[in-house]
Amino acid sequence: MKRILSLLFALALLLGAVGASAETKTTPSICIVVAGTLGDRSFYDSAYEGIQRLQTDYGTVINCIECGEDSSMYEQALYDAAEGYDVIAAVGWQFYDYLADENGVLAAYPDKKFLFIDNALEVIPDNLVCITYSQNEGSFLAGYVAASLSTTGIIGVVGGEDSDTINDFIIGYEAGAKFKNPEIRVLKQYANTYEDPAKGKECARSLYDMGADVVFAVAGRTGEGVFAAAQEVDRLAIGVDGDQKYIDPQHITCSMVKRVGQSIYDMVSDPDTYWCGGQVFTATMSSGYIDLAYGTDDMPQQVDDALKAEIAVIRQQIIDGDIVVPSAFE
Amino acid sequence: MIQFSDLVSFSSLMSTLGTATIVILAGLGCLMTEQAGMMNIGLDGMITASAFAAGVVSWLTGSWILGLLAGLLTGLLLGLFYAVMVVPLKSDEFVIGVTLNLFLVALSTFLYRNLPPAADGLHLDMGSGMAIPSISFGGNAGAAVSVSILVPVSLALVAVCQAFLYSTRHGFWLRAAGEKPESLRSVGRSPDRMKLVASLLCGAFCGLSGAYLLNYVHSFTEGISGSRGYVAVACVIFGRSNPLLVTCAALFFGLVDTVSTRLQVAGVVDSTLTAAFPYVGTILMMLVLAIRNEYRKAGQAKSALERQEAVK
Repeated sequence: MKRILSLLFALALLLGAVGASAETKTTPSICIVVAGTLGDRSFYDSAYEGIQRLQTDYGTVINCIECGEDSSMYEQALYDAAEGYDVIAAVGWQFYDYLADENGVLAAYPDKKFLFIDNALEVIPDNLVCITYSQNEGSFLAGYVAASLSTTGIIGVVGGEDSDTINDFIIGYEAGAKFKNPEIRVLKQYANTYEDPAKGKECARSLYDMGADVVFAVAGRTGEGVFAAAQEVDRLAIGVDGDQKYIDPQHITCSMVKRVGQSIYDMVSDPDTYWCGGQVFTATMSSGYIDLAYGTDDMPQQVDDALKAEIAVIRQQIIDGDIVVPSAFE
Repeated sequence: MIQFSDLVSFSSLMSTLGTATIVILAGLGCLMTEQAGMMNIGLDGMITASAFAAGVVSWLTGSWILGLLAGLLTGLLLGLFYAVMVVPLKSDEFVIGVTLNLFLVALSTFLYRNLPPAADGLHLDMGSGMAIPSISFGGNAGAAVSVSILVPVSLALVAVCQAFLYSTRHGFWLRAAGEKPESLRSVGRSPDRMKLVASLLCGAFCGLSGAYLLNYVHSFTEGISGSRGYVAVACVIFGRSNPLLVTCAALFFGLVDTVSTRLQVAGVVDSTLTAAFPYVGTILMMLVLAIRNEYRKAGQAKSALERQEAVK
């Protein structure tokens, strides 16, 4: 009898412990709505990786709605997500109009939390946090690397389209390149699509043809074409958003990492620290959301240790505010 | 500052040829079905599916030849499906074409994400085995220009198709199957069989186009075709299903695209404006065609009148 009792007691304790730990670790369910499709190995995949990590770490209920480039789906997708989930992250500046709408989804679901990734509204309701990224800071480092590796004195960048966010990358990139070499020429191209690698290849090829020997891809899936072009002409490229070096370690020198997933992860897993309803959360280099990544050590490195050390110094200067990187949002 | 030589140079022409080949191959397929009177507009889906099949097989086997064959085979099967649906089952050809486009793009995306080897979700690098040999030239500013051997092969195929359609018996029958099936029947030939041949050819060309596309962008991605299948349909309409003219239309589109891409770098033309170039080109081309048709009709009417006068 005693034995059974003690066993029961132990079981109860165990259950209690499990219950308690589950309680402290519970997070609200989250649905991300992306303005493109997953599989870009870049921006959207980074966001998805963030919520996948939430699922493994906290058992969070997650989902993802992909809209493709079909803008007619954007609004409905936001409503669908808000209907079934506690936190809704709109990933992509394309959702601006639907979130800015006073009678839109934000007003319809005042109790839900919304995240707007990669853009900020003029007026932000209390149930929304806009997350913007200091991509100009990381791009500054990318530009510095490009200018250091360039032998022709010409470097290039392929942007997804002529929008503020993309231009923020480009302005930072140009500033970084000029910081290294004031004489450098920076050629730019907009592919006008985030979903067409063949177009990206053509854009990059034109830049390589004009003498650029390092091209920065800032165009999501379109950027895959930039890497294909780099391989074909045997010149260098720089990846974006994720650490893309693994795609082609011989030609991708480094990647400007924008940890979209990490920012979503932090917002959901630790709202006390990060959630700031009604405000803009700026994910900067100093808070670790923006960085330059060189892949893993077993990959061939085009950026040698001396240059990496230089980059580390500049990185610190940006964090300390000694270097102020220009931005497209000013 | 940008120079004229940057816009129209050897390497920019090669770049044009590189992208245009996707459209040329698909266009050759489409024009065969159009000549046989059952235009297949499902090119985009067929290209995507073939690229996917080529990707999977070349990734599993590491052989581009097997990848290419897989693309071809997929195309042929889809061509067979199309022919069966349209000829004996008499479905509407446009509905089947649209279905192919929507379904195949979605199916390849689904399979791409759920294939057992892609357990990590999205990081399956499927183009790596698809290294079709290429020919290299020296280019501008030292950037080597290389084109896949499929590019000259497809140009040769254009000539072959031209010869086939206009200089062989089978080509004549194929055209007759579209234009006047009863006349073909009257000489004891089956129009349905010619339609099947045309549809299989269409599938094979789309298969080639898909395999080439995969090789061109180096790895399979969702929506890999970038809607180039639709551009091919437009080219077939412009080129009136004549292989040479269709190729010219595809090259024209490619060139407009390349030049607009390169004009952008100069910064004199806004990127949103250059994006509109191909469509402005489309309208201009439509206009030229329409005006020429009017003239031709007027000319025909006039000569018909003259003949009547002469008879009187």
